[in-house]
Order: sequence, then structure tokens, then C-alpha cells
Amino acid sequence: MTTLHGTTPPDLSGRNLSFRRSLADKSATFGIGLCVLIAALPLALVAWQVVSRGASTWSLDWFIEEIPRNYRTEGPGMGPAIVGTLVITGMAALLSIPIGVLGAVYLNEYGKNKPLARFIRTMADVMTGVPSIMMGLFIYVGYVTVIEERTGFAGALALACLMLPIVIRSTEEMLRLVPDELRQASAGLGARKWRTVMGVVLPAASSGITSGSLLAVARAAGETAPIIVTVGLTYVYKPDLFDGANTTLAAQIFRNASQPFAASQDRAWGAALTLIAIVFLFTILSRIVAARFAIDRR
Amino acid sequence: MKLNRRTVFGTITAGALALSMAACGGSDDEAGDGEMVSGEITGSGASFPDAFYAAAIEAYAEVNPDLVVTYSADGSSAGKEAFGQNLNDFAGTDSLVGEGDGPEDGSFQYIPTVAAPITVAYNLPGVEGIQIDQETLAGIFQGDITAWNDPALVATNEGLTLPDTPITIAHRSDGSGTTKNFSTFLDEATDTWTLGASDEIEWPEGSIGGEKNTGVATVITQTEGAIGYVDLADAVETQLVTAAIENAEGAFIQPSLEASTAALEGAEVAEDLSYNPLDAAGAESYPIVAPTYLLIRTEYEDENVAAGVKEFVNYLLTDGQDIAEENNFAPLPEELRTQALDALNETIA
Repeated sequence: MTTLHGTTPPDLSGRNLSFRRSLADKSATFGIGLCVLIAALPLALVAWQVVSRGASTWSLDWFIEEIPRNYRTEGPGMGPAIVGTLVITGMAALLSIPIGVLGAVYLNEYGKNKPLARFIRTMADVMTGVPSIMMGLFIYVGYVTVIEERTGFAGALALACLMLPIVIRSTEEMLRLVPDELRQASAGLGARKWRTVMGVVLPAASSGITSGSLLAVARAAGETAPIIVTVGLTYVYKPDLFDGANTTLAAQIFRNASQPFAASQDRAWGAALTLIAIVFLFTILSRIVAARFAIDRR
Repeated sequence: MKLNRRTVFGTITAGALALSMAACGGSDDEAGDGEMVSGEITGSGASFPDAFYAAAIEAYAEVNPDLVVTYSADGSSAGKEAFGQNLNDFAGTDSLVGEGDGPEDGSFQYIPTVAAPITVAYNLPGVEGIQIDQETLAGIFQGDITAWNDPALVATNEGLTLPDTPITIAHRSDGSGTTKNFSTFLDEATDTWTLGASDEIEWPEGSIGGEKNTGVATVITQTEGAIGYVDLADAVETQLVTAAIENAEGAFIQPSLEASTAALEGAEVAEDLSYNPLDAAGAESYPIVAPTYLLIRTEYEDENVAAGVKEFVNYLLTDGQDIAEENNFAPLPEELRTQALDALNETIA
């Protein structure tokens, strides 16, 4: 008993543990460390492989030249795919993130456990598990075959369908984490419900919403199957989403990697590295933006 | 009123274009030197001739940089479906249009472009130039003949000493036009073949599958005693040893572009320009040659697109034929090429 009430703090360093317990402690620590290493290993290998194989393709021309039409032709050019990825994914984000976030606000702040909210929640869960090609085929049948043209906008629609359930579910989880006391405090100060949501709840959850949305953007940027079905292919710059077929980096990786020629495989690695770099850049950017909006950092 | 004026203007431009096309349509070796069409045309379909089309499109961009041509290798059936849904301006296909494929009867014209031999490649160190007759080939690929020193093989290879290495069949694991053409050849040419003709075959037990032509080539390279079917471009690229196959006239022919063009000459061309070069007549013909076609529309909504398709396909059939050989595709024989050009000029006036 005296030790508990004594002035010296309890010894937590683990130096005086019995042999059996220190052995268990050491081996568990070692085991966990090993698991971290094993988990990080494939990640590091992928990053190293992509950088070592793709870096050699990077040059100024790589980012501005048109894509070579022939697989065997060596040399740079991925500009149209970079622009295509940016505008198609950007348009998809523009379509899906506002709807998704507002949908989540409905689910968590208004719908709660109403039948409609429960239905939407279940459907969103189901939709996150649907293979991406299904979204591509949905847009292909419902939009592409109707207007009889493959366009970048069709790809943006397919990607938006893909992102929407992810945005809804991740945003709702983030809104749920906002303590009720904040809402009550806001209501207590006389704010209406919409003011509470816009001024308190959303900013409090903003960093979580951003990372959830980013996850969706990153997934969409890497999608290949729905893009090939809905967007088609081009070698030239197509900044206008409604002006015929377009292309993205992911589609170019697929197209170039499946050929036996070294020149096209190099381009596939270069496109992979470019895609990773773009996703990485956007992650950092949006983290900075989210930090500025977050309530606790102000 | 405004709409009317636009239509009139469109007709005039179209007429002018048609005239300019007609002016140079007659000569084969001119890809239209006067006024060039500008704009954009898209095609999609067969992946088998993709390497040739990609090379031709690049070369064509030098001739006429204002007409942007894209070809997306989505597969023959996807190309035909897209053609039926008006999603592309021309489609590439290795097989003929069947019922329910998409394109309606009378809405398209076949234009043969190139062909390529399917090689029978094997891995037997020290044994080159093996000769296989048609019945034996069927026997090998359905598992009746299991060793390289089988009497049937010894009979056609008197000068060679064949080891008793067991035969391992290498085949495509994915559904494939190459499998379809190879099995169709065995089905049509021999009486003993029982496995049918299809994109996917139930191969005998113990055979090894590979993804795409390159996958089959890898299996053959890595397995001693293996035999498989690979398209010429990949067989050349991976330096496989190929067998000489007995043709319709009993001669043993090594796969080559010349032997393929000879097979095309021996093939009977139907009125719609479809033809079957498998087991074709002619002493020099290689018996397993796969054709490939473009589908062009009999009616285009946009006259400019029509002119673009005409100009590009005309290029494929003229100067583009030289690019074929560099990419291990067999150019069309003169007669078929002329027929194709005539059909092109007739379809798109």
C-alpha cells in the first residue's frame, strides 16, 4: 500500500520487469515493428519501382507534347492525358463533392433514423462496393449511347457516380464525430439550424471531410475501366469536356503497358509516376486548405 | 432560316469535298495531294492489328496533320458494338459481323486492310525447322500425340533426330481471336479435330495457358517440349522457333509475310470483300493466316467525317501497306487491294 501512496512515481520504464514479462514485452515490440516493416515494404517497393522506372521519362516535353500515336515511337508526350486527368477528375469532384457533403448533412443532421435516411445510407454502402466498371456501363448506356459520342464529360459523370457514395459515407462519419455540445452551444447562442450546420458543424469536420473527399478523388483519378468505356481515346489536347473523345493518365497506363514494345512501357511507367505525383500534390494542397478552414486552428 | 442556310452551306462544302476526293480517288498511290480533309475521326475495335494501325496513324499524321485519327484497341466485339451504336466512325474487326453484333445489315462495308500469320512455335533445343502435317497438328493440340518422337512426327521429319521429350501444349488463357482462327483452321482442314472452333477451347489436361500472345510466347520459351500458337509479330519479337505447317497442296511452309500474302492471293474473296485465308490454295501459301477488316459506314451523317474516313482508309490501302511489313503484318495482294479501294470509292462517293 505504501508504494501506491508514496511520493515516488510508479516505475513504468519496464527495467525491473521479471524475465518472463520483459521477454513477452520485447518480443511483442519486435513483432509489431516487423509488421510495420512488412506493411511498409510493398508500399516502398511500389514507390521505388515507379520512381526508378518512370523518372527517366520526365522532361519538359513530357508534360507539354502530344501523345505519340505509335507504340514503338520512343520519346515523350503525355500532356493531353495530364490535362484530361485534371479536367475530368476536377469535373467529377465538382459534381460529386457538393452533393455528397450536403447529402451527408441531411443524413446526419436532419434524416437521422428516418426510413429515407436509412435507405440512402444502405444504398450508399452497397454502391461503394460496386465494381467501377458498373458505373462506366451505367453512364455508357444512359448517356454515351444517347448522345452517340464518347466525351470527357461522360467520364466525369461515371467518376462522379463512383465518388458520390464514398463522399457521403466518409462525410457522415466525420459529422458524427462533431460533439453534440457544439451544436447545443450554437443553438444556445440563438443560431438557427442551418447556421449551426454551416458555421459550426461543417468547419469542425472540415479536415475529415477533405481527407474523405480526397480519398474519393484519388480513387477516381486512378480509375481505368469506366474511363475506357465512356471517354474513348485521343492523342491531342482536349480541354473541352464536351468536345469528343478524351484521355486520362490511367487509361494511358493501361494502353501503353499492355504492348510488348519497350518505348510504350516506358511511357506507361512515366504516366504512373505522373499520376502519383498529381495525387500527392493534391493531397498536400487540400491539407493546407483544410487546415485554414478548421475551427481548432483558427 | 438560319438552319436552312447552314444546311445549304454544308451541302456546298460536302459537294466540294466530294469533288476533290473524286479527283484523286482514282489513283492508288496518291493519298489526296490537293485539298486535305481536316477534323477528327475515331475508330475502335480489334486489338490484333493495333500495332499496325498505330504505326500507320503516326505516319499519316506526317502526311496530313490536320486530320486527327484515333484508333482504340477495345477488341473486335466492342468495336462492332460501338459501330452499331454510332460511337465510332470506323471499326476494326478480325471476325465477320454476325447477328446481334451491333451493325445492321447494309449499314457497313468490309475493307480488308492487312493479314498476319499465326505461327506454331515450339521449344526443342537443337531441333529446328520441324515439319508438321495437318492431321498431326490436330493430334498434338488435342493430346493424342504426347511425345516429340511420335511416329507421325518422325514420318514428316526424316532428316531430324527427335527426342522423346513429352509435348506440352501452350495456349491462350484469355478469350482470343487468335485461338478462334487457329481452331477454325484445325476444324476446317482436318477430319480428326474434335475440340471445335471458338474463342476459348477446352484444352487437354496438362496444357499451360498464357495471357495474350506474349504470355503464350513466355510459356513456350520457359518449357522444354512446349508447342503453342503465337502471332508472327510476337514470335519474331521473342525469337521463337517456328514449325513449317503443311498447306492445302501438301507443301510444308514456314510462316512468313510472303507466304501469308500468297495465302491471301489463294483465298476466295466473297462479294462483300470478306475472305477466308485459312488453308488457302497455292503451293507457297502458309495455311494459318488471320485476316482483319475495317468496317466503314455506307452512310455518314457528317460529310466531313466521311471524307476523313475515305482519305485515311485510302492511305491505309496505299502508302500504309509499306508500313505493314515493318510491323510484321502481311500487306494485301494487288488484286484484293484494288478491290478494297474500289469498294471504298463506291461506298463513300
